[in-house]
Parts: sequence; structure tokens; C-alpha cells
Amino acid sequence: MLNRRRFLTTSTLAAATLAAPGLVTRALAQGEALKIGVPVPISGAFAANGKFATIGALMAAEEVAAAHGVAVSTLDLDTEGKPATAVRKVQDAMAQEGVKLFAGGILSSESLAMGKEIERGGGAFMTTAGADEITGVDCNKATFRWSVPTYGAINETVRPIIDALPDAKKWYTITPQYVFGDGLLNAAKDVFAEKGIEHVGNSYHSLTDKEFSGYLTNAIAAQPDVLLLLNFGAQSSDTLRQAVSFGLKQRMTIVVAWASGLEQFEALGPDICEGVYFGAQYWHGADSALNRELVKKVQEKHGFNPNYSFAGSYICAKLLLEAAVKAGSPEGGGVAAALAGLKYQGLTGEEEIRAADHQVIKDYYLLKGKAKADMADKDDYAEIISAGKSFLAPEDAGCTMPA
Amino acid sequence: MIYLFQVLNGIGLGMLYFLLAVGLSVIFGLLQFVNFAHGAFYLLGAYLTYDLTTRGFGFWAAMPLATLIVAGIAALIEALLLHRIYKLPHTFHILVTVGLALVVQELIIIAWGPLGGSVPAPEGLQGVVILGDFIYPQYRLFTIGFTAVLAGLLWWLLEGTRLGAIVRGGSESPANMALLGYNTLRINTAVFGFGAGLAGLAGALAAPIRGVEPFMGIEALSVAFVVVVIGGMGSYTGALVAGLLVGVVQSVMTTLWPEGARLMIYVGMALVIALMPRGLLGRA
Repeated sequence: MLNRRRFLTTSTLAAATLAAPGLVTRALAQGEALKIGVPVPISGAFAANGKFATIGALMAAEEVAAAHGVAVSTLDLDTEGKPATAVRKVQDAMAQEGVKLFAGGILSSESLAMGKEIERGGGAFMTTAGADEITGVDCNKATFRWSVPTYGAINETVRPIIDALPDAKKWYTITPQYVFGDGLLNAAKDVFAEKGIEHVGNSYHSLTDKEFSGYLTNAIAAQPDVLLLLNFGAQSSDTLRQAVSFGLKQRMTIVVAWASGLEQFEALGPDICEGVYFGAQYWHGADSALNRELVKKVQEKHGFNPNYSFAGSYICAKLLLEAAVKAGSPEGGGVAAALAGLKYQGLTGEEEIRAADHQVIKDYYLLKGKAKADMADKDDYAEIISAGKSFLAPEDAGCTMPA
Repeated sequence: MIYLFQVLNGIGLGMLYFLLAVGLSVIFGLLQFVNFAHGAFYLLGAYLTYDLTTRGFGFWAAMPLATLIVAGIAALIEALLLHRIYKLPHTFHILVTVGLALVVQELIIIAWGPLGGSVPAPEGLQGVVILGDFIYPQYRLFTIGFTAVLAGLLWWLLEGTRLGAIVRGGSESPANMALLGYNTLRINTAVFGFGAGLAGLAGALAAPIRGVEPFMGIEALSVAFVVVVIGGMGSYTGALVAGLLVGVVQSVMTTLWPEGARLMIYVGMALVIALMPRGLLGRA
């Protein structure tokens, strides 16, 4: 539909004298430009996430170009949130533009499909999508994942709330029926079983649903203590908005396991978010050196605080490009070797790329929505309740990395 | 008991669907024009309500204002562009109105950004009604009553007034109406603006329930077409019956088979097309 494709040249300068030669293991071929594809939904239901992701990747490209004196360009690829479209765009980018590096894939279904295609094409891919399979049973040499997968997201949201609310014994879930939702639901069921929580019901819904009153009626009938929303983006906003209008905030605790961050708070507003718990991969108020630096730069350049879509895309693109510079080539093998095992100070503090399954080990946050009167500034929607790292061991996640 | 609650919830949903579809049905029934921009007018109505409420207008002022603005914009578009393609095959109607819908959607993203927002329910309607175990938002209850009253008024306007007779006459025999001294071009413009205004009103009413986001028009259009096809193209009563039917089926299915709830409304449409090609109450 809106099949926009822009080729954004961020730098044509190859000012080698400005580069820090000590950081570069092998020089890129003279005049060789780094190209990075940004396959994200720019149209369709997840377009808002895609828009921020493209400018996040662009900022990373500009930084790497300036830091290393190499030409870096980004290629926006509109996946429309559809795996088939995503694969076709990636194939075209590899065949026609010679792109080897890809940072993107907001939906798990599209990321799983793209990861396999990029591996076949000899490239490298880093994503923020959530399904366990990406660095689990479907792991591959080319695919890396920055976000905490569904297992960690549930463990860092559900467990602290169970501990904080010992009387809340009955939980109801609303789940989108695809790989991401099932991953969250299965992880939640495991925690419920371990903690003696009664799972009083679940409503599956399709990826196109906008009306959730029927599912909320099911939840009300089950009389839970906690309503756990396992959907993402606009769908979780719609569910939460409608749950609040049904008065559920006064009757039960509401938890959004995987919030899309600041952009979701902005769309919902403080009145809806107040008192609701949100799991989050990233929060602009997180206390780390790189995050403070990013917030400052984004404020100066764009006049807003970075949200999850922006920050996730920024860090994925930055890691890939830095690795390509270090490897002296954007070819997948060298980039993967440079990334595997890397420890660095990231947006959430100390982060590490686990070599065995290419999963970044990082914090996941539990936030709680603030009352409007308690907000220090227009984006101070939530306080960080807790943060922590929960990951399955690679063998437990089912990853057998191909040689 | 849960099924009774789901039926009640479905009636509320169905009234919204009726309001969404009735404008599309009126435009097709009277102008024989396939309007794929209907969802865009719904989108515009919702966003104008959002904008006006954030500027300090109360919801009760924002809702009629948004409706009138949408009707005015639609009438202008009809007068400048759409009346030129009425006589062309329906494929041209689709082509032009899909393009129009995309333009409106993109302009909304440019004007208000891609993120969307929330519209609070008006003061006095922010609470819930509790009936035993059943909870229902007061605002949704208001939309049921409001839409029911509006449905009666619309029927009376189209079937029981001289204005309605002129509009129907302009649709059935424009040449005779012209001979009687009526300006059929203006009648068409008014009918289109009226139908689009109803979509804008549906968007304004839906904004406190659904919030606003730039792609809400696409979903609204698909629901509106399902309702119109099931009810019968151009049938006012058909839109009402089908809207309620779709709402109740969707709501009850969320308990019976949640993952297939949305699918079922399309299955229902396919069955109606196969068994009753003119819809439940469509005219021969």
C-alpha cells in the first residue's frame, strides 16, 4: 500500500584522518560504504513503531560514520508488519543494493522469517522482536536479538508483582494468537504453576482485533485479581483503554507485560496509565551513561525523548555497524564473530551478547504509571519499580547454533 | 449468564457498527456510489474530536462540530471531484475513493503524528453501570441510546419528510426531478455530505471508546462493508439489523471461540453472499 522506500545517505565523507585507527581491526576497502537495511513496518498497524525505528537507525549510522570516518547509509524497508513482505524486501535489498546488515523486525513473525533469509544471504541481522524462538530453537549464525525475549519479560514483570501482591491469587490473560503471544502465555503459565497462582482464564484474539469489550466481559466473569495483557502496540493500548473504561482498574490490578514504552504512554495519557504496571525493554529515564548520552542527543536533534522503537533500532544498528567496522567488512561471518561474546556499556547498563545463542543479556524493567499530578515533566509517565535480567540458558531455550 | 452479558455487549457494539455503516448504505442506496473513503471520514471525525477536546472544547461541543466539519469537507470533495465519476463503472469509484482515503490518512499522520491518542468520555459518563456480575461503561450505554434515537430520526427524515422524498426522487429519477426544477447536483452533494457526516459522527462517538490512531479508518471501513453487504446494499433497515447481528455474533463468539470471533463476521458475510446475494433486506 504505502510502499515507501527511501535511500538516506547519511554521510559520504570518508575522512579517515578523523577515525580512531586503534579501534579498527581491519580497514574497510577504500571507498567502501557501509549499508544497513532497516526492515520495519512503516505502514499498517505498527507504523508508529516503524517511524521511530527508522530515525533511530539513522542516528546510529550518522554516529558511526562520524566516529570512524566511513560512509554509512540506511535503507528503509517497509515490511508492513507482514512476514512475506519483509522477506521480499530483504531479498531485494541484498540482491539489488548489496545490503548485508539489517537492523529491525519489530514483529516476531517477520523477524523469524527475515533471520533465515539473511543467514542464507550471508548477512547479519539484529532485531528487537520478542519470541523465544528467535534465539531459541530457530537461532542461526546471522541473527542477534537485543530485546529480552518473552521468558525474561514475564519473569521480570509477573514475579515481582506476585511477590508484591501476595493476596492476588487469580490471574486472567488476554493473548494475541501468534508466536509472540504464545511465548508470553507459556512463560506466564510456568510462573503461575511454580508460584501456586490460579490461571482463571485466557482469551485469545487475532492480530486484527480492535474491539476488546467481549474479551473483557470474559475476564470480568472470571473475577480475577490481576488482568495480564500479553498483546503489543496499538492492540495493548486498545485493550487497556477499554479495560479502564469498564472500570477494571478499580476492581483488579492490570499488568501490560510488554509495553512499547514511551510512545504507548503518550498515546494513552496519564489518566489511563496511572496505577497500571508495564513491562518495558527500555525507558528513557534509565540510569546508564549511554542512555543519558542518547537522551541528550535525541533531545538536541529531534526535541523529544527516545522511546523503545527509537532506542532499540538505534542500538541494533550501532552494534552491527561498529562490528562491521571492526571486522573490516559487512559480511555476516565477520560481523557475527565481532559481536559474539561482546561486553559493552549499553542503554540499560552493562550488556553482553551471549555467543552461544546471540542473545543480548540486558535488564528488563517493571514500570508503574504515575498520577498526572506526580509527573515531573511531560514524559515522566512512570516510575521504575524494578529491573533485572532473566534468561533461559541457551540449551534450555533450545538453541543449537549451526557451526 | 455470560452469554446474556455478551448479547448485551454485542447490542452496544452493533449500534456503533450501524452508525458506521448507515452513511455508507445511504450513499450507495441513493447515489449508487461505492465509497471506499468512508473509513477516512470516520477517521477524520475521530481526530477532529480528539483535536477539539485537547484544545479545551467540551466533548458535547466537539462531537457536533467534528461531524459538521467532516460533512462540509465531504460535500466539497463531492462537488469538486466525485460527481464527475458517478456515471463511470464502480471500479473507478473504488480507485478514486481508495486514493482519497490514503490522502486523508497521510494528512492525518502529518498533522497529528503517527502515535494516536485518547479522548476522555464526557463528564458524567465516565463511570460504569453494575448489574450483578455485569459491568458496562456509562458512555457505551449512552452511545446505544443516542444511536437508537438517531436511527429513528434518520428513518423519519428519509421516509417521512418532503426532504427525504426529494432525495429519494433524485436518486431514482434525476431527469424527472430536474424537470420539476430541482438541482440534482446539489441534492447529490448534500446526500454525500450527509452520509460522510454520519461516518464522522460515528468516529466522534467512537473516539472515547477506541481512542484515535491513524489506521482506525481501515478497520472501520471493513466493518462497515460487512454490515452493508449482510444487511443489503442501500437498505437502511438492513444496516440496522446487520449491525446488531454482527455485534452480537462477534461478542458471543469471544466466549465461544475467542480466536475466531472476528473471523466469524466475515464467515457470516460469505454465507449471506452465497445464500442471499442481495443481503438480508436488500432491494431487488
